[in-house]
Amino acid sequence: MPKPDQQRKVNVLPYYFLLPSIILIIMINVYPMISGLLYSFQSGTIVKRGPFVGLENYGKLFAMGEFWNALYFSSVFALFSVIGSYLIGLGLAILLHKDVPGRGFFRVALLIPWVIPSVVSIVGWRWLIGDQNGLFNMILGRFGIEPVLFLASEKWAIVSVIVIKIWRSFPFMMISMLAGLSTINQEMYESAHIDGAGRWKTFWHITLPQLKSISIVCWILMTIWCFNDFETIWLLTEGGPANATENLIIIAYKYTFIKNAVGIGSAIAIVSLIILMALATLLLKIQKDDE
Amino acid sequence: MKYKRIKRWLLFAVLLIIVFLVNLPILTMIVNSLKSNSEILTSKNILPTKLTFENYETLHTKSKFWLQFRNSAVVSLWGTGLSIIVAAFAGYAISRYRSFFIAGFSRSLLMLQMFPIILVLIPLFIMFRNLNLINTHFAVILLYLTVHLPFAIWMYKGFFDSIPKDLEEAAWIDGCSRVQSFVRIVLPISAPGVAAVAIFSFLFTWNEYLIANVFLRDEQLMTVPIGLQLFMQQFATDWGSLTAASTLAMLPVFVFFLFVQKYMIYGAVAGSVKG
Repeated sequence: MPKPDQQRKVNVLPYYFLLPSIILIIMINVYPMISGLLYSFQSGTIVKRGPFVGLENYGKLFAMGEFWNALYFSSVFALFSVIGSYLIGLGLAILLHKDVPGRGFFRVALLIPWVIPSVVSIVGWRWLIGDQNGLFNMILGRFGIEPVLFLASEKWAIVSVIVIKIWRSFPFMMISMLAGLSTINQEMYESAHIDGAGRWKTFWHITLPQLKSISIVCWILMTIWCFNDFETIWLLTEGGPANATENLIIIAYKYTFIKNAVGIGSAIAIVSLIILMALATLLLKIQKDDE
Repeated sequence: MKYKRIKRWLLFAVLLIIVFLVNLPILTMIVNSLKSNSEILTSKNILPTKLTFENYETLHTKSKFWLQFRNSAVVSLWGTGLSIIVAAFAGYAISRYRSFFIAGFSRSLLMLQMFPIILVLIPLFIMFRNLNLINTHFAVILLYLTVHLPFAIWMYKGFFDSIPKDLEEAAWIDGCSRVQSFVRIVLPISAPGVAAVAIFSFLFTWNEYLIANVFLRDEQLMTVPIGLQLFMQQFATDWGSLTAASTLAMLPVFVFFLFVQKYMIYGAVAGSVKG
């Protein structure tokens, strides 16, 4: 093979390598995203697309109590799930970082909630929090406490959904923090020890600051995942009771596939995307400023 | 020294209790699957008074569970197989070549991981409806492949980055082409990486709910998660079969997870942090 030809080939090759991925991403991500944006300016149903109506869908959306309620719940859900899973994940990571027998086993066993199918974990939880025969209510009953309607009362449904989301999310925080802990230089602790710093002080002044940048990345990811979460909520409450646990993704799904209002559904999806991007940019900026 | 040893075992005990409590929903589910239906509903005992496999037998004879299990396997294996191939080439490209376009591509992959899947599901549902692709495994496989791509490409990039370039350069001198050196040298060396990507991809496709829920409406074609959800709605009282089916649905995950767990930290963090 002549040399000039080979030289040219070297420059084109990576694009051949990228081509299948690019085609797929355009077909499955980019093109639908653009049509989704267009749908949000149109009326019509899944079967038949309607005429362009300008900002009407957005107008309707912003006038809807259900939308603001979902936005509020999405935020509450994300906030508490991120804080809860972070604190539990960090706590367990610190315990697992110590020299304890059976560390490998504990690490694997504590990752289980994260790796099993969401439907399976919801089946498990539904049994625990059932109204009549659920284990929790059975235990409460032994103490003479009235059964709690974990999924049927608005207040408890919100709590249950968040607790179960935390349960499904903390393992991610735990292994990320474990990875972060293993990168901290042990000499820092030794010199702090020589200086007479107590345990609490070293945690506050060495461990936490060292974990800061990986923590921010985890918060960003978890916030996005919580905002985008569909199945935890859908499989537990379908957004009920009385819309109490509807987040933006659930109402986008309901409007599109159940109420057959594609325009509104798409508008909700676009609004969620904008919120997510704003949120991610903000958190990344905090991280950059920090460095 | 003795004091320290006691503290270690104390911590061990504490962690054991935590593991038990954390996995309580799963443990009770497995235990329930071994009880008869009437015992699940009436007994106040947590452990079964009489072990029985009747729920598993019912599942075997009466429901579409095994058909759906097969559907899940088909969708997962195709999705995984295709994504490890497509992503390998892309991962190699962004690991070894530098250009404005490639940098932009790898950055946009990170953005892709963030956006709400529901946004593309709406137009894709309409598009696939016109192409008669609703209720086909093809549609779901195509989506799984693409949705998992960004993560798989980034993971591959990490593995390829750690393989010294000298190895390939030596092969070029011996007359290997770039493609040959990639396929014959880089890929075999990164076999554990390929396995890790494959297992992550398998876990994702096996567990996925939303996409399958939108595109697979026919009970004959449904994957396990969708079948289980239907189960949950239709037979609200048949806890026996439901817990048995859930237990079986978990098994493939456990098997693969044990292989991949040492890569878990890497997979969870690397893809995101390196951006």
